Amino acid sequence: MAKITIDGKTIEVENGTTVLNAARQLEIDIPTLCDHPELTPYGGCRLCLVEVEGARTLQPSCTLPATDGMVVKTDTEKIHEARKFVLSMIFSERNHFCPYCQVSGGDCELQNAAYDEDMTHWPIQPNWQPFPVDASHPFIILEHNRCILCRRCVRACGELVGNFTLGFEERGADSTLVADLGLPLGESSCIGCGTCVQVCPTGSLIDRWSAYQGKEVEVDSTKTICMGCSIGCGIDVLTRDNRLIRIEGDWEAEINGGLLCDIGRFHPMVEERERLLTPMIKADGKLKAATWEDALKAAADMVSANKGGLTGVVSTRASMEALGAFKALCEANGAQTMLTTEDCQAVSAIYQQAGSDSSPSEGGISDLMDADCYLTFGEDITKDHQVLSFFAKRRIPEGAQLIQISAIPSGLDNFATVSLMVADDQLDKFMVDLTALVEEKSADVEKTASKYHLDISELQSVVDALQAQQKTAFVFGSRKDFSDSAAVVTAAKGLAQSANATLVTTKGNINSLGAAALGYAGAGEVKGTLAVMLLADEELSQCIEQKFEKADMRIVFSSYVSSLTAGADVIFPVMNWLEQDGHFINFDGHILTQKAALEAPGQVLSNQEAIEKLVSALDVKNQMDWEKEVKAFASPVKIA
Amino acid sequence: MAKPTVASDWLGGCAGCHMSILDIDERIVQVVELVDLRATPITDLKEPDKAGVTVGILEGGITNTYNEEVAKRMRDRCQILVALGDCAVFGGIPAMRNFFTIEDALKRAYVDTPSTDDSGKIPSNPELAKMTIVRPVHEIVKVDVFVPGCPPDADIIFYVLAELAQGRIPKLENNNLMWN
Repeated sequence: MAKITIDGKTIEVENGTTVLNAARQLEIDIPTLCDHPELTPYGGCRLCLVEVEGARTLQPSCTLPATDGMVVKTDTEKIHEARKFVLSMIFSERNHFCPYCQVSGGDCELQNAAYDEDMTHWPIQPNWQPFPVDASHPFIILEHNRCILCRRCVRACGELVGNFTLGFEERGADSTLVADLGLPLGESSCIGCGTCVQVCPTGSLIDRWSAYQGKEVEVDSTKTICMGCSIGCGIDVLTRDNRLIRIEGDWEAEINGGLLCDIGRFHPMVEERERLLTPMIKADGKLKAATWEDALKAAADMVSANKGGLTGVVSTRASMEALGAFKALCEANGAQTMLTTEDCQAVSAIYQQAGSDSSPSEGGISDLMDADCYLTFGEDITKDHQVLSFFAKRRIPEGAQLIQISAIPSGLDNFATVSLMVADDQLDKFMVDLTALVEEKSADVEKTASKYHLDISELQSVVDALQAQQKTAFVFGSRKDFSDSAAVVTAAKGLAQSANATLVTTKGNINSLGAAALGYAGAGEVKGTLAVMLLADEELSQCIEQKFEKADMRIVFSSYVSSLTAGADVIFPVMNWLEQDGHFINFDGHILTQKAALEAPGQVLSNQEAIEKLVSALDVKNQMDWEKEVKAFASPVKIA
Repeated sequence: MAKPTVASDWLGGCAGCHMSILDIDERIVQVVELVDLRATPITDLKEPDKAGVTVGILEGGITNTYNEEVAKRMRDRCQILVALGDCAVFGGIPAMRNFFTIEDALKRAYVDTPSTDDSGKIPSNPELAKMTIVRPVHEIVKVDVFVPGCPPDADIIFYVLAELAQGRIPKLENNNLMWN
């Protein structure tokens, strides 16, 4: 421990704590630019200079470790002079004219720092060297003229996301941020996660979609969860006048620690599907707008009159509350089948096999944070469930091994220590054989290698890694169909056990696990003559739509027009994910809370309200207690 | 005691800062009660009194040799010089041409613009002032009060004028300090 005195206040801090962080603990404000709480200290901008008793010169507090007995001052004339000088130098380097900058007026940390030092003008004139603007990326604009060379983006890209796209070329005033070895950002290895945009202190990295639409002081912020996949990343939804402006990662979120992928951050900005705004009833082969009352009556009559069996279909983007109400509706009306729109054999197999396990066998996010060896198989986690790939990729510089088993080229190819090419239909058998090698029941690496056309030394290195008894995490991208999905799940569990590894499966959508807990089957066929479908705001693939089109009669709850609504008999318009509250159970069993960030258009109800209206139109009582159902569910991962 | 006198002039700017002075609306009455408003570009008297004024206000940056002269004349004739607006304080939007050569900027303005027909040519009358790199006023003459903003808010201008009228030097800080 080190006892440090800052501006007359004394605090004891852990050894290695920086003076800046000690000051933060004392709630003493030291201005910073290159420093970011989520990133390794860099000491580049020199704005955080402080006076240390006994030191000859001012010291950067962000990289200076507090030592016992250290006496620091942060508010002297000398320091303010130094800060002004540092800021003057930064302003003189590039184009920092404020009036037409996207972040001016509150969102620019450079401008704010100058305001805090009461700077009314620039003592040093700019050098007028023009730099290019890189607008090649679909989501991000890289405006080099606003760059202050703080390298936050470079550190975020490497340390947080593990993608290592961004770096610097040249020296001194010519230093330029580059993607890869000087490619335009849009052609580089950038995955468009936008973390660099979120950490940029100036208007150098700009989000195309939110630029000039509202500053932080002008927008409302709602902390909720992303619905892009089963991870359930914490997000900050910024809105203005009931319009989505921007989505940012929530640094305080336990799951993702502020990271998002392009699907979470940018894709919701380009929602182009046509919205359903009123209930509709099919009459004479055509859908016509109707009142809720009429539509509910038509739907209730259809359900009551239906004698040919009923199938309930839900999207796993609907909340526990909505899925619970829907289950009450299904059960009261004798539904033989309750399906989800996931239609995935492997995900179903995971839930089925968990039923026979004595306790939850899977791990979660925390197991992926500090593993020494990662083994990924199934889907490409750099495409779906991307944030999980960040956790693995960023550990590589610290010596972690990343082993990939994939049938096709994947986004991990450039990162993996070893990539084993194994066909999907052989995956289960391969994992059984690999288990035998790891358990040394079979010592013939050569034979196994030739059986699967693998490189012997590569396979040997995988066996060695799995035998090393290090902290190993298996990431099973399970949203995929295999020829024998159940066998793959069994083999994966077996291999994980033999390597003493933690298995993590990605499952399906955000509420995939929740739907399973309520008894919805992932894969299955539509049975009977009537299908009631809670599609919520999900965008389904064509083949899944075709599967559900098989039902003769359809009652559909949906936010958007799709081919399933086009052929429906009754349609109820429901809110999209940004408009409603609810609870969701993500892939590793976290119960997450969704909060509404936008107001829904007039006649549109939440999934839960809409279902409950039909439930009461059918004279049924919704007595479903989803929390109770979840407790009774044999889950593959502990739910809490 | 005689009222303090105030004169203003504009350089390479857009007149927006003077419009922002007018945006103080009826408070202008309070200002003229306290000061003697002399030459401005929007009144009949254009040049500051040779006898000198208490406060000189300049809008716009230094974009040519004529702006230099006007700035020096104002400095010579006033006790307190105020740089009003982002162009006077930083160079502002006209300073964007500094990222190009003057030749390119002129060519763009007089020849290359889509609205210019084939007769477009760069004016070359020797009477015209010589264009220079665009600089803030304080690069040419000493400035006493910097009032950034594009344009500065009318409330900020009123605060500045009110302080000066009462013999104080305004301090631009907190909510009164805005660069854009």
